[in-house]
Amino acid sequence: MIRVAAVGDIHMGPDSQGVLRPAFETLPECADLLLLAGDLTRHGTPEEMRVVAREVQDLAVPVVAVLGNHDHHDDRPDEVTAILRDAGVHVLEGQATVVESGGARIGVAGTKGFGGGFVGRCAGEFGEPVMKEFVQHSRRCADGLRAALEQVAREGCDARIALTHYSPVPDTLAGEPLEIYPFLGSYLLAEAIDTAGADLAVHGHAHAGTEHGMTSGGVRVRNVAQPVIGRAFHVYHLPAREPAAAGAVAQQAR
Amino acid sequence: MSTHGSQDAGGGPPAENLDYRIAHLQDRLASGELGELGVRVEARGRAVLLTGTVPSAPCRDEIVRTVHEELAGFSVHSDLVVTEASCPDHAEELS
Repeated sequence: MIRVAAVGDIHMGPDSQGVLRPAFETLPECADLLLLAGDLTRHGTPEEMRVVAREVQDLAVPVVAVLGNHDHHDDRPDEVTAILRDAGVHVLEGQATVVESGGARIGVAGTKGFGGGFVGRCAGEFGEPVMKEFVQHSRRCADGLRAALEQVAREGCDARIALTHYSPVPDTLAGEPLEIYPFLGSYLLAEAIDTAGADLAVHGHAHAGTEHGMTSGGVRVRNVAQPVIGRAFHVYHLPAREPAAAGAVAQQAR
Repeated sequence: MSTHGSQDAGGGPPAENLDYRIAHLQDRLASGELGELGVRVEARGRAVLLTGTVPSAPCRDEIVRTVHEELAGFSVHSDLVVTEASCPDHAEELS
C-alpha cells in the first residue's frame, strides 16, 4: 500500500511560519510522501517561499510540489522554485520524479496547469493573440503533464500520480460559481491524465470546491486545497501496482 | 463575487453603486498586500456578507479592515474562517 499525503493552497507568509510544521512532523507515521499542490505563497515572493521551505525542510518523507498562480504573481517562478529545491523539495513543471519511500517507488508527474474550461464550455485557440496565448499556455502545461506521466509509466513504479494546481475536472469545483470554472481548470489536463494513465490525480486552486471527483477515463481526482480539506493535509491509500515489464527504462526527473 | 440581492444594482452615480464598489474591493484584495482571491463578497440589501477561508487570523483581520474602508457606509458581516492546520484523523482508502 502506498500512503500519499497531500495539501495545496497553504498560502504562507511571514505570519504563518510554524503553523503547519507540527502536523508535517507527524507525516512519517501516516504517509510515504507529501505532495504540495501549488499556491504555497500569497504573492510568490522569495521571502514567502523561504517560509514554505523552512516549513518542509528536513521532513522524514520526500516532498514533491508544483507551483500555483499565486506563486507566479511576483514574476519570479525560477527563483522561488530554486528556494524550494534548495530545501530538498522536488518541484515539477512538465516533469516527473520517482521517489522511493516506505519500500515503494512512487512516480509523480506535475505541472501547474492552467484554465480554459471543460468540454463544451471552454475557450478555443481563436481570435485575438492574447486569447490564443491563453489556450496555448494551457495546452503546453497539459502536454508537459502527459509526457511526464508517460515517463513515469516507463519506469515501472508502484504508483503513478498526477500533481497539478489547476483542476483537470469540473467535479471537484462544485461549490464554486459556475461562471468562473474556465479560470479554475481545463479538460486538457484530464485528457493528458487519461491518455498516459495515472492512479490518482491531485490538485488545488478551488477553495470553495469539493474533494472528490473522477476523470471520464476513471482516474480518481482529489481537490486538496487546504480550505476544502480543512486539515494540514489529507492522506490517500493506494494499492501498489503490479510491477511493469522487465527492462523498463529507469530515467530520473529531467 | 455575486451581488444578487443588492438594492443598488441599477441607478445612482457609478461611484455609489454597490456592485461596482464590490468589484473594486475584490480587485484591491487580489492585487494588494493580501493577494486574496478566496474571499466571496456578496451584497445582501444594504449589507455585505464575507465568506471564505483565509490562511491566518491577521489575514482575516486585514481583510475585514479593508472591506470596512472600501465599503464605508455599508454594514459588513464577516463569516470568514481561518484555515485548520490539524492532522487528519483518518486516511481515505482508494482500492
